[in-house]
Amino acid sequence: MSARYGMVIDLDRCTGCGSCMVACAAENNVPALPQATARTGLTPVLVRKVSNGLEGNLRREAFIPIMCMHCEHETPCVHVCPQQAVEVDAATGIVMQMPQRCLGCRYCMTACPYHARYFNWWDPSWPAGMEKTLNPGVASRMRGVVEKCNLCHARFHAAKEKAAAAGRREIDAADYIPACVEACPTGAIRFGNLADQNDPVAQEAHSANAFRLLARIGTEPKVYYKSNEAWVRKMAEPGDQSSSPVRSTEISNHQSEVQHV
Amino acid sequence: MKFSRRDLLVWGAGAAAGLVVTPVPWKLLDDASKWSQNWPWIPQPARGPVEVKQSACTLCPNGCGLKVRMASGSPVGVAGVASHPVTRGALCPLAFGAHQLNWHPDRLRTVRHHGTAASWDDARIAFARACSEGGVVVLDGYPGRAASAVLETFAEKRGEYRVVRGAETRALMPYEKWSGAPAESLGYDLENTATILSFGAPLLDGWGVPGRLTRLWAERAAGQAEPQLRIIQVESSLSRTAGRAYQWISIRSGSNGALASGVARVLLEERLVSAHGPIPDLSLSDAESQTGLDANAIRELARMIVAKPPVIIIANENNPAVAALNIVLGAVGSRGGIVRRSKTAKAYPSADAAIASARAVILDSSVPWNFVPQTDAEVFRFAAWNGGPTRADWLLPAPGFLEELTDVPTAPTSGIETYALAASLTEAAHQTHSCAEFLASADPSLPSAEKIIHTRCAELFRTKKGILRSREEVSVAKIASVQKLEEQLWNGAVWVGEPASGESIRCALKQWPAADARSPLDWSTSWAAPVLPPLASKLYQESGLRESQGRNA
Repeated sequence: MSARYGMVIDLDRCTGCGSCMVACAAENNVPALPQATARTGLTPVLVRKVSNGLEGNLRREAFIPIMCMHCEHETPCVHVCPQQAVEVDAATGIVMQMPQRCLGCRYCMTACPYHARYFNWWDPSWPAGMEKTLNPGVASRMRGVVEKCNLCHARFHAAKEKAAAAGRREIDAADYIPACVEACPTGAIRFGNLADQNDPVAQEAHSANAFRLLARIGTEPKVYYKSNEAWVRKMAEPGDQSSSPVRSTEISNHQSEVQHV
Repeated sequence: MKFSRRDLLVWGAGAAAGLVVTPVPWKLLDDASKWSQNWPWIPQPARGPVEVKQSACTLCPNGCGLKVRMASGSPVGVAGVASHPVTRGALCPLAFGAHQLNWHPDRLRTVRHHGTAASWDDARIAFARACSEGGVVVLDGYPGRAASAVLETFAEKRGEYRVVRGAETRALMPYEKWSGAPAESLGYDLENTATILSFGAPLLDGWGVPGRLTRLWAERAAGQAEPQLRIIQVESSLSRTAGRAYQWISIRSGSNGALASGVARVLLEERLVSAHGPIPDLSLSDAESQTGLDANAIRELARMIVAKPPVIIIANENNPAVAALNIVLGAVGSRGGIVRRSKTAKAYPSADAAIASARAVILDSSVPWNFVPQTDAEVFRFAAWNGGPTRADWLLPAPGFLEELTDVPTAPTSGIETYALAASLTEAAHQTHSCAEFLASADPSLPSAEKIIHTRCAELFRTKKGILRSREEVSVAKIASVQKLEEQLWNGAVWVGEPASGESIRCALKQWPAADARSPLDWSTSWAAPVLPPLASKLYQESGLRESQGRNA
């Protein structure tokens, strides 16, 4: 039976600590290159700070972890890729990026409405000796290809191998938990099979205050967000001019991207 | 048969067309793309079996439980231990990249004397000379470890032992003065409290054991209109904690004591509390003018904090006026308040005072980098990472993350006693020595840290008190031998003591303390890493989540 892996991120629980970003980068052997900037670095998960636009005691802030949304319907990056380097995996629903096929044209980056794709500008390198700390389950990628969140596919493979060794066809849900989910100290990021109606995450995805970013463009993202704050929910559709003066906080070097969120 | 030019062209065209329908060009393309991603100069992860070991983090005094993935003898990933009694699987963001710290460009690799390379023998000779010429003051940042006992023993013979306290322990110092119980023996019973009034303490941003309160808040407060746990944050600006609190009270910077005095006056005058105490000298109108908060808002705050007991007040520094509010509320020595978790913890002299008469001062690597001792003596500083400019005469490279065998006593803010061991999971990347080893080389009569750990384990076994917590809970009384106990501790189990007795601490307050007494020190009292893991530096910079912290790679 095919699964549809996805997430529900409870924004009321996110404190913006950044554990998910660091754990993701460490898991996926993302290099910390000194020449990388906010525009050129790889950040498969990026936590952005937003505010309600008010000042003084009325000001409120929230943190939104942004990663590949694993769009289910008319996935923009899949449509534009001339190399068929991106595909939606039929068995898992994960939008897979195959660096071997990628020629680095970056059409997918332009097409992604969530700015969740990053171009690998440099060969990976680490300070002398630090290569010993690389995760053996994930290869280091060369420059010139596009990177993004693949829901820690190496962990999925490891779970499959474990299931196969035990003579099972289906993986145990406890064996496949992406690094960001494992790292979140408040349990704000939850991961599960959205196709399984009994999965708590699938149920939460359809709860009253759950929403998806840019839902109106119809790409059916598999990353859901949740908040009891109305101003946070309004962030999901920035094109709606009637919404309250909600805006993203100005983050240095990120203005052009943040304004779209 | 004659092979014409025409035949050659036909054969060539046919071969080209045929080749396209064979797998050869596609296989070559695939191989070429894979080969081009594996240039010989691109570092590749080590191959080999992966095993998972449990340990405890020693980057700060909180000793969070770690699950470390090891490959080819090196740590390749860090995660939290869900069964840990205090952190319950949560870690601070630095821990997830901490396994890279040992290879940080700012790692101290050699002995440095006034900025130039020196040898361990040079340092030993200089230290021996200093010892022969006068007294030595030993400064420790994490008291209570086996290594601390070595430091203390040396200092008893040669000089003085002092402790550099972190912000959380400093906030408990007024109770030490009023009750006689050492600040190191006190903790917060957060698990049983219902309202926390924080005066600027970064509760959801690394305060205390980082995962402890964030887990509690997530379970009992996050996103709830009527939370089981109310966090009321008093702070001049919208911090991470203020933004997530049940209520954010914005006051002028530096007026925490004035607000505490104003709230105490309302509590006592309106008889909102049963306890009696001295009424603050500060009038409500003075509190209003100093804090910038309306008198009605101060009254409202006082009513709000008593509406959902038990309540606890947490200060971000040593502020007696804020601490006194806990006494007015009856939160000292009560369930959900400030508790005395240990009756055996010792009171240590603080390193705050100037060091006048010593010939040498030696700083353990546990002392925060930003602490500068006030002394003219020769300074020997142990550190794993170079945190920037320092006044130390000697910089001595200490073991880094997971490189040192050590024990982990109770975290400073914990309400219960714990004890864990952190094995040395990886070989030291450079020639390093801990401060305890260095002192042992100067005085061979000192006991080794390992021997002290054995003694402590034997003592735990002898008392039969408490439980061992790993995946399962086992009473110490049911463990067959001290070797079994120690083996389980080395494998990541945590000893948990019996719940603290609130009645063992009593505070008497004769006079209301002065508001906002300033600390005489100019160093930041909050713990800060000397360097950040390179990944954290990169991601904080690229996300704009935090202003620069520590030093970047």
